[in-house]
Amino acid sequence: MTVLKVGILSCSGEECLGGTISRLATRKVLEEMKMVETVTLCLPLYNAGGTEERNFANVFPTISVDGCDKLCAKRSTEKYSGSVSVSIDVSRIIGNEHALNTRIIRKKDLKEEHYQMVDEVAAEIVKAIGALDPNSYAGKTFRGCGCGE
Amino acid sequence: MQMSNKVKVIPCSGIGKVFGLVAREAALKTVLELCPEKAETVCLAYIVTGDDEVKERMSGSVCITVDGCPKMCASKNVSLSGGNVVDEVKVLDTVRDHKGKNFGSPTELSDDGYVVADEIAAKIEQRINELA
Repeated sequence: MTVLKVGILSCSGEECLGGTISRLATRKVLEEMKMVETVTLCLPLYNAGGTEERNFANVFPTISVDGCDKLCAKRSTEKYSGSVSVSIDVSRIIGNEHALNTRIIRKKDLKEEHYQMVDEVAAEIVKAIGALDPNSYAGKTFRGCGCGE
Repeated sequence: MQMSNKVKVIPCSGIGKVFGLVAREAALKTVLELCPEKAETVCLAYIVTGDDEVKERMSGSVCITVDGCPKMCASKNVSLSGGNVVDEVKVLDTVRDHKGKNFGSPTELSDDGYVVADEIAAKIEQRINELA
């Protein structure tokens, strides 16, 4: 059976809520998506890792998920690895007022409205996966992120 | 751009294993709750971009990194950006004192996961107070 894999790279930004939402939405898709196998990579491994990590976006069609319009995950992927298939800017989904919130960032501070934002962004990621050409993610293999994913 | 003299506490936020989340929660507790007047964080993903603006912000700044695995992504990237890493906190050093516990997942820490994150945050707070 052919294994279908799509790469999802989150910024996980620590300075604002958008980063937390991007991280949680990415995790949600990684854990719950069943029709297509998804993989991720710790973004800073582009510098701290080796060739395998830098080859990530060349091996998989990759969706970047960024918490704000700096688009660090997208730009770093394109700088160190390869072009992304889809770029998702969380701030365009939940609005800058929420995305750039610098007080509510920790998971334990999130409220129901924030989990709804996670669901919205996860739905966008799933939609993006659905729009990919299946031929672009068939039969690819990857040793995986150095930290175990 | 206004430069800050606050100590920069920068976690790896590794997305693949629970210890990345422990690092993230420990760093955020430090900068948001324990030492907001003395410490701040900077998005590691922004540091990875290598943009001139973030290099300028990081250049020569006093930094404490928090890493969840031996790849030491936070420490390496902060050093590459010009930050002065005065302390490399390794989550696994604290985890060793809690053998056999379930710390949760990369998505959600368990109560024991928060215990470890809080311990690490307390150590970082102590270090920041020494530096101040």
